[in-house]
Amino acid sequence: MDAPRDDHRLSENGNGNGCGEADGRLSKRPRPHPAPISAAEIVEEFSHNDPAVARVNNGSFGCCPASVLAAQLRWQRLFLRQPDEFYFSSLQPSLTRSRSLVLELINAAHLDEVSLVDNATTAAAIIFQHVAWSFIEGAFNPGDAVVMLHYAYGAVKQSIHAYVARAGGHVVEVPLPFPLSSPDEVVAEFRRTLGLCRAGGRRVRLAVIDHITSMPCVVIPVKELTRICREEGVDQVFVDGAHSIGNVEVDVQDIGADFYTSNLHKWLFCPPSVAFLHTRGSPAATPSLHHPVVSHEYGNGLPLESGWIGNRDYTPQLVVPAVVEFVERFEGGLEGIRRRNHEKVVEMGKMLAESWGTLLGCPPEMSCSMIMVGLPGCLGISSETDAMKLRALLRDEFKIEVPIHYQSPPKDGEAAGATDESGATVTGYARISHQVYNVEDDYCRLRDAVHKLVRDGFSCIQSTEEGIQHSSKREAAIGFQSRFPKHGGCGKFERPLGPGNGPIWPKTGLSWVRWMAHATTWSHIKRWHRLRLSLPGGLGDGTIGN
Amino acid sequence: MGSHHRDDCAENGGDDNGHLAKRPRSASCPISAAEIAEEFAHHDPSVARINNGSFGSCPASVLASQLRWQRLFLRQPDEFYFHRLQPALLRSRILVKEVINAADLDEVSLVDNATTAAAIVLQHASWAFSEGGFRKGDAVVMLHYAYGAVKKSIHAYVARAGGHIIEVPLPFPVSSNEEIVQEFRKALELGKANGRRVRLAVIDHVTSMPSVVIPVKELTRICREEGVDQVFVDAAHAIGSVEVDVQDIGADFYTSNLHKWFFCPPSVAFLYTKKCSASSRLHHPVVSHEYGNGLPLESAWIGTRDYSSQLVVPSVMDFIGRFEGGIEGIRKRNHEKVVEMGKMLADAWRTFLGSPSEMCCSMIMVGLPGCLGISSEKDALKLRSLLRKEFKVEVPIHYQLPKDGEIVEKDRSSTVTGYARISHQVYNVEGDYHKLRDAVHKLVNDGFNCTMLPS
Repeated sequence: MDAPRDDHRLSENGNGNGCGEADGRLSKRPRPHPAPISAAEIVEEFSHNDPAVARVNNGSFGCCPASVLAAQLRWQRLFLRQPDEFYFSSLQPSLTRSRSLVLELINAAHLDEVSLVDNATTAAAIIFQHVAWSFIEGAFNPGDAVVMLHYAYGAVKQSIHAYVARAGGHVVEVPLPFPLSSPDEVVAEFRRTLGLCRAGGRRVRLAVIDHITSMPCVVIPVKELTRICREEGVDQVFVDGAHSIGNVEVDVQDIGADFYTSNLHKWLFCPPSVAFLHTRGSPAATPSLHHPVVSHEYGNGLPLESGWIGNRDYTPQLVVPAVVEFVERFEGGLEGIRRRNHEKVVEMGKMLAESWGTLLGCPPEMSCSMIMVGLPGCLGISSETDAMKLRALLRDEFKIEVPIHYQSPPKDGEAAGATDESGATVTGYARISHQVYNVEDDYCRLRDAVHKLVRDGFSCIQSTEEGIQHSSKREAAIGFQSRFPKHGGCGKFERPLGPGNGPIWPKTGLSWVRWMAHATTWSHIKRWHRLRLSLPGGLGDGTIGN
Repeated sequence: MGSHHRDDCAENGGDDNGHLAKRPRSASCPISAAEIAEEFAHHDPSVARINNGSFGSCPASVLASQLRWQRLFLRQPDEFYFHRLQPALLRSRILVKEVINAADLDEVSLVDNATTAAAIVLQHASWAFSEGGFRKGDAVVMLHYAYGAVKKSIHAYVARAGGHIIEVPLPFPVSSNEEIVQEFRKALELGKANGRRVRLAVIDHVTSMPSVVIPVKELTRICREEGVDQVFVDAAHAIGSVEVDVQDIGADFYTSNLHKWFFCPPSVAFLYTKKCSASSRLHHPVVSHEYGNGLPLESAWIGTRDYSSQLVVPSVMDFIGRFEGGIEGIRKRNHEKVVEMGKMLADAWRTFLGSPSEMCCSMIMVGLPGCLGISSEKDALKLRSLLRKEFKVEVPIHYQLPKDGEIVEKDRSSTVTGYARISHQVYNVEGDYHKLRDAVHKLVNDGFNCTMLPS
């Protein structure tokens, strides 16, 4: 059987039209490989990752092995060599091949159901624009509801607001507890919310359900929630599975949603960026689903519309065959990778929780290749800003990349929140991940970093006050342009050195304060932009504008 | 001196202020022909590439810069996201602002391509119709030769929301700006008939097929006189090909691709939105957490993606600075050369040019011998394929329906129904055009006719 990669080589040489003879079918079982990929080979494949960094945040931006990057480069060069030839002969067949492989990976019924888009954020825009038209054109009535989870991704929430609320839809959030102890808690809240809509006489037109929430990260029982939606008469279900593919099993027929999207660059080793959007039934079933960037393919069905949205670099969408090849070098293929990632991240999560005297944010069966680990309460994480700053501190001081989630403590009268072994409320969680390139030392470093901060009496609360003082002075002293430091690249400030040339530790407040200013630079830039837009006269706080 | 400092910035992520030299740096030693060949060595050397208009071109030094940015992201993506991306995008926007003479940085957004920019502007118009800001039946005016994707976008957003579309018929071949201005005025009158308002005029700066330079400044002025709400100039081909001064042109929205004639890799475009109340309500259709922070910030983060093509503008400025006269010099020489080659071909084939030389830029339409029998758009496409496969010449062919009863002059044997849109960019050599000339001669001598092509 011709493997997809042979077709790819045809197209590299420019022989034929690049579409090849093989139909690009994925072998049903992972092909037995003479010897599975070795640890050394894995290191080689990810040698472009910064070796100094303990990279335990695969969830945000994913990763891409060198062999897939090389395949992408070949595609890019093919386009540049003769772009017209590429456009007329290679592009669409190659996109079709990628779509065919995705179809098999997700067990879609028809190729027509599978479109490739930039990312889940784009997929969400497609779905919500469709819903907006339904409201505008009267298919839905003003006040009809769209339901989403409280922990839906921020961009998706904004998108629902930008399209659905703007067009007259009523947006309902399903409150979700965290930490969680079982999927039943999620199901109960979901049922309750749908029940409230029903009781209020609201028709629910769309339910937006995460397969794996981003922050905090838990696996949602989407199949069950979709079934409940059908029972409750919800028109359509959109599963935002941004993190799913390569992380949990994805069987779109089994899940049964109307729309399902997942990023291929997070856990399926594609370069940035590419996602699939699965739409159940043929394009005839959802004729009004359109890509928001309209091209000459408009009206030819979403797969074709998405296959050409103007001149762009489509190469991230073309390397799926190379990805399949990479994945099959692992024992058990993608399933094996998933399983080992999950086992390892649970093991490391438990190790950290035990070491810090904290807890896991959910039971292992509700985690995937990521898990939430409580941070010691004494770190004093009291806001999302604190969480961001702690993350920046870990990155800059300890070279550890891990996202931190702020979980607001229960209000008076509510049940007591999670506490650590000292009795302090746990308000912060590290979302650790495990991907094939991780080693145990990555987690040991995180463990030790947190221990050090605790020993040194570090607290976000104390540091925040100092940081704010210092940054205001900085803002007053410098103009906008020179926020970008002159040497050593953006974000690299000169650090005061203490005895022995090591950094001055937070107890003195000095270098931490500098890091605070650095860590808040981007949020300040954004705030500055917003204020500039709203105050033509300037900020009036001494900041020198552009 | 210091021409590579911007390349270093890609690695370090820093720069002083990214200000563009007001004048093109007069290189003591401008780039040589050999260096240009080197910069474009990744092009297929066997192909006469005279279609820079469709997909543009990108020199090796800019590609190298892009690769560095890509590797920087892959190395530590969180660090890149939090510290490098936005400043680097800002730097690119600052440079673009200077090149196009925008008044304010907030007016400059970077998007994927002009097609995306069109979707942004048209979605905005669509909401206005849906929310009652515009009345159903109010008009949107576009040129007959507007780009196909833009026409569909107008249909998908404006017509669907209740807007009335008016097309400005344009003559082709065209002999003066006056012809265009007249037709445009007529269309505006039609737009205002029955108490309608013309809410938006979509005007190409350089039409795609057939390619002519439209007098956008004059048409924009007429729009203001005639009470058109807003003007959107679709200048996909403009930057690097004609002079672009957005304040002088005076449109509300102006977009151009940087990967066509401005040496960026695929793909990146700017969307200029004149500062006024309406522009602050423009949104990128892919909504992210930046929603509501203004189009520049919204466009700067539309989810995880490869933004590297938007980050190499400093490297592009370096590259352009190596040419005598900078971008102006490049434009001037491209224009002169394409006109010269166009006339050479028209003489050789005994046809004519589709427009006077002052109405073209770095591309020009050259009539093809009528005996080739191009009788449909399909024929044009097939002839183009034939030229690509048999003769290794890449040139787009335009099919022009002749007016009833009109025999177009110069080609005595039969009506000219096809035009080759030739282009000239820095990597072209005269041999490219000789190849095309000889290919067409051969076809004519062999008695070729499009009816012979397989359907």
